[in-house]
Amino acid sequence: MTGLDHTRRAFLGDMTKGMAGVALSRLLVRDLVATPRTPHFPPKAKQVLQIFCPGGASHVDLWDYKPMLEKYHGTPLPGAATEVTFQGKNGNLMRSPWAFRPAGQSGKMISSLLPRMAAHVDDIAFIHSMTSRTNTHGPGCIAMNTGFPREGFPSAGSWVSYALGSLNENLPTYVAVQDLRGEPPNGKANWGNGFLPAQYQAVALAAHQPLRNLARPASVDPAAEQATRDFLHAINAEHAGARPGSDELQARMSAYELAAKMQLAAPDVSDLAREPGHVHALYGTNDANALKAAYARNCLLSRRLLEKGVRYVSLYCASRASAVDGLLNWDAHKTLKADYERHAPIFDQPTAALLADLKQRGLLQDVLVIWCSEFGRMPTHQEGTAGRDHNPDAFTTWMMGAGVKGGVSHGATDEFGRRSAVDVTTVYDFYATVLRLLGLEHEKLTYYHNGANRRLTDVHGHVIDRILA
Amino acid sequence: MIATALAGLVNGGVARSADAAGIAFFEQKIRPVLAEHCYGCHSAAAKKLKGNLYLDTRAGWEKGGDSGAAVIVPGQPDKSLLLRTLRHAEDGLEMPAQADKLPDAVIADFATWIRLGAPDPREGQVAGARRADKSWWSLQPLRREFAHDRIDGFITARLAEAGLALNPPADPRALIRRMSYDVIGLPPSPAEVEAFAAAHRASPRGATEALVDRLLASPHYGERWGRHWLDVVRFGESNGFERNVIIDDLWPFRDYVIRSFNDDKPFDRFIVEHLAGDVIGAGDPAVEVGSAFLVAGPYDDVGNQDAVAQANIRAATLDDVITATSGAFLGLTVACARCHHHKFDPIPTEDYYRLRAAFEGVNHGRRVVSTPEERAAFAAATAPLNERRAALVAERDALEREITARAKAAAAAAANPRPKISPEGTEERFEPARARHVRFVMHASTANPKAATNARLVEFEVWSAGPPARNVALAANGARAEGAKSATAEDFPEAYGPQLAIDGRFGEQWFVGNPAVLTVTLAREETVERITYRNAKDEMIEDKAQGATPTDYDVQVSLDGREWRTVASSAGRQPWSVAHGIERQRREILTPAERRQLAAVNARIAAVDRELKAVPPLREVFVGKPAQPQEPTYVHQGGDPMKPGQPVAPSSPAVLDRVTAPYALPADAPEGERRHALARWLVADNPLPPRVLANRVWQYHFGTGIVDTPSDFGFQGGLPSHPELLDFLARRLLAHGWRLKPLHREILLSDTYLQSAAFRNEGARTDKEARLLWRFPPRRLSAEEIRDTLLVVAGRASGSTSSRKTTSAPISPWIPMVRKPTGAPFTTRMRAQASWTC
Repeated sequence: MTGLDHTRRAFLGDMTKGMAGVALSRLLVRDLVATPRTPHFPPKAKQVLQIFCPGGASHVDLWDYKPMLEKYHGTPLPGAATEVTFQGKNGNLMRSPWAFRPAGQSGKMISSLLPRMAAHVDDIAFIHSMTSRTNTHGPGCIAMNTGFPREGFPSAGSWVSYALGSLNENLPTYVAVQDLRGEPPNGKANWGNGFLPAQYQAVALAAHQPLRNLARPASVDPAAEQATRDFLHAINAEHAGARPGSDELQARMSAYELAAKMQLAAPDVSDLAREPGHVHALYGTNDANALKAAYARNCLLSRRLLEKGVRYVSLYCASRASAVDGLLNWDAHKTLKADYERHAPIFDQPTAALLADLKQRGLLQDVLVIWCSEFGRMPTHQEGTAGRDHNPDAFTTWMMGAGVKGGVSHGATDEFGRRSAVDVTTVYDFYATVLRLLGLEHEKLTYYHNGANRRLTDVHGHVIDRILA
Repeated sequence: MIATALAGLVNGGVARSADAAGIAFFEQKIRPVLAEHCYGCHSAAAKKLKGNLYLDTRAGWEKGGDSGAAVIVPGQPDKSLLLRTLRHAEDGLEMPAQADKLPDAVIADFATWIRLGAPDPREGQVAGARRADKSWWSLQPLRREFAHDRIDGFITARLAEAGLALNPPADPRALIRRMSYDVIGLPPSPAEVEAFAAAHRASPRGATEALVDRLLASPHYGERWGRHWLDVVRFGESNGFERNVIIDDLWPFRDYVIRSFNDDKPFDRFIVEHLAGDVIGAGDPAVEVGSAFLVAGPYDDVGNQDAVAQANIRAATLDDVITATSGAFLGLTVACARCHHHKFDPIPTEDYYRLRAAFEGVNHGRRVVSTPEERAAFAAATAPLNERRAALVAERDALEREITARAKAAAAAAANPRPKISPEGTEERFEPARARHVRFVMHASTANPKAATNARLVEFEVWSAGPPARNVALAANGARAEGAKSATAEDFPEAYGPQLAIDGRFGEQWFVGNPAVLTVTLAREETVERITYRNAKDEMIEDKAQGATPTDYDVQVSLDGREWRTVASSAGRQPWSVAHGIERQRREILTPAERRQLAAVNARIAAVDRELKAVPPLREVFVGKPAQPQEPTYVHQGGDPMKPGQPVAPSSPAVLDRVTAPYALPADAPEGERRHALARWLVADNPLPPRVLANRVWQYHFGTGIVDTPSDFGFQGGLPSHPELLDFLARRLLAHGWRLKPLHREILLSDTYLQSAAFRNEGARTDKEARLLWRFPPRRLSAEEIRDTLLVVAGRASGSTSSRKTTSAPISPWIPMVRKPTGAPFTTRMRAQASWTC
């Protein structure tokens, strides 16, 4: 193709001929508008806040108290003295650098790294016996989010959006709030729609990164924009008038309207300046640590999104693996102490503030909070280092809020935290439980794709009844 | 559920005794047992049918279940699988499942009944099949007889059955747009539209034929249709998974696909090249590059050290090849048989491992792909340079040997009264000196006696004479540190920097760069008398030092930052190792003349290296690096590579053995031969590849295939809307020698294609999606078409059909990648993931 000598008018003419000629009614098929839908049975929770700490957050240094590590520090892990895991050989057992202290009425033992999170243990249901099928970050993250360690499958948020639709037609149904440091391992696949229609993927949004291309350019006059929209609506209506009974066309038209409404609603919800000073202080949004302040703002943004009825918020604390382990996320291969003394303070206060804020506003009546990481860490140190290698055989997740029994722990790891030993749990059990709380039967939430009725829980999954309120 | 006519096919040869006594025996002794103990899992009423076996009709046990044969052989109790399971004579098939063995008397009744000829009055067909067997429609040979001899015949006949008819012909302006996008992915220019409209008025048929021929001859045809194919074969120019590394030398495959489409290469040849191009075309890059198909999918290269994880990763890597191959060419979801027999199609798990055996030697990676002439030219250009280089290196080595001999002697004689340095803390005291700047010049590390680059420092302290003595190098006391670093982290500019060596914390390290010099500028001039440095981080474990620690050094001070005076050094310390001691002496005894000599010869070597580098290298392409497998292929029980089952030879999948000639190679057959054998089997007399390909061609023309699940022709896939037409098209494809362009031409010139897209209520009422083609089904433009339209109408499209770059595209045979400022690129792999299953 060579360049054509074009006037602006001819350009637009070609465009409309080219596009409209072929496209039309296919454009109008089952689209964008995600209205609320009815769950399978009365739900306990209507919304989900997922907090994800990528990098393999160490269960034995945060949530899973292992006194035997203290006692046998510096001695070989019984029966596995020369174990080779993800990065190589392991050394002896290594105690946690931080003391565990009892917290709350339940007396749950929590790492002193998380002093403010400790205040919430009576509302939390811990799952200490999680297992993953992969020991690698990227596959692990998407396995935790989609149930499959390979790309191409819908994230839990997408499944929930698909199942339940939107609660606020002015805002996206599903929002991924990513960390200032960047995307988690495997990036957007963590909140992708997989084979579900594209409308069910998350919209990426963060306090430091507003929705892109949302604002009206300064050069466009607001009145002119409104007039354009009205004109578009008029010709759409004319088109629809010639095709009576086409509800798909109607749906398509409302989708464009939604985009316009979102233009107004999204800046409003992400305007943190509307929050009073004491709220900012509670979260720590002005902390001297820029990473903590950024995460705190994301926590505050998450609360505002939930308040406005966003169905599913995925909030990330840390990002992908970096050239040196443990710098950008919870992947403390070599220098556990330095790494977690960097990450834990970023996480602790803002997360605790978010939970307290949700609680005091009564939002936990509807919001289910889930915390996850892609796997745990070894109870041993990695040979030649003061860090821990990946451990897919044992890690902790937790839930809190709508429909969840607080102050309980489900499952347990062995005495050193090497393997899940009691009530071994998988990501499928985890999401079977999440779906149950949302009023969904995990075996019935299916989508036909490539010859199979796909499920978030694949062909597995048992609801963890013990943690249901 | 789709009911199929499977029942009744397997019915012959069974002798039945219908005498009343036999029936009475069945009613009294057998039926109640079946109902009580068997129907729970083996009847139409079963919640979950097990083993695909029905025992609630005679036809059920005659047909059998997953074993594929009747479970009762009338008259022969010992040959009846049913009885053997009741007797617990079949490992893993003890029946009733998860219950006590039936009483011996009951089992004896079954034996008696079978000996009587298994009289069974229960009529009725096997309940609606819940899975396919080898009689499944897509596994049959291509039809030879057809009711029509043109595409339109099949379409209009089917429409007539539904009381419908084709739309009138499309307006020529709509037609040229439709056809242009369809065939070349680009809009027609206004001039082309006008010209076609005029020609169409004069001669509709002639103008349309000319248009079809022009478009099919356009080089953009290959871009457009090659793009479809690249989607089918899950092509992506990054490896996915955690690292998602850009693969910037896979583009020759992309160009190869485009070229092959433009040349109308016979597709059977194209398929063979995909699986074994390197085998049949060694030394011919244009053919060899076809086998990049095998390695164009995602694979995990994260370097997992865990042996179990490694085996799983290898299994996943080959699973991608198996899935891509079986989906693209056979339209079968063979990957579902990785852990068990396919739940819906007659694909035993062995078939999966038969394919794995074919691909067992596939390894991802790049290698030189060039002609013998190119190799000869490269050798001719580099051989003299390599000779010169070898001579220079020999000269340098001789010089080094002589110096080293002297250094060894000096090291043996040296007295080193002071202790070794310690990574946990080393101190040097010296005469108090005035200093504004302090420099730590490092010569060696614990890891390298020749240089300190890549060593690490947790902390470096400079103490004033006092009292009180203060660490004046501390950043908190106003000092600044400068020095090169050997590692970076994209979005942490300060990571690994020299400031970490004076931050007063034992957490993070400075990664020493080149030159290995730390320069600390003090807040003010001070009198200093002591330095310490350490590389130990914390007290958690026995092995505290992280990485290499500097071992040999000079400490220098300066008042102005220009003139430096050495106040202390590692001289006199026990060397870290014998090699360190020799290197230390070497630094001492090297004469200025030797230094010059060494520099000169090194410069000449560097000059030759530059010349070598200037020779254009032989082209490397990401076509994979096949290697002969060392072990036979085993079935993985339950899909677990840690549980090898029976060995499987590289051989044809049994799923098609009724309609294709099977092959079996020895277990240790050369790996290339295995792939070639599989490829030949695909294109010999196999009905699926032409059927699947014809369906894809139809799909891209009309938006939906005759089978609307183009990579799944199995039980869970869609049924053909026009089964006869599908085989007709496949036959036409074969008649055209597997060339696509004549098939395109037949389709593009059919009334079915040329009809208008106009909406009609009566059509929509009967056939909303227009699967029967009462109108030409409109479709959305793809992202590539929209992008290319913008480029073309803006006059910005380049004429080139290929590009070596992955990052910019003239016309989109691919989506340009977005490399985020702080992250890996995602677009490519996201695009190629759509066909993944299981």
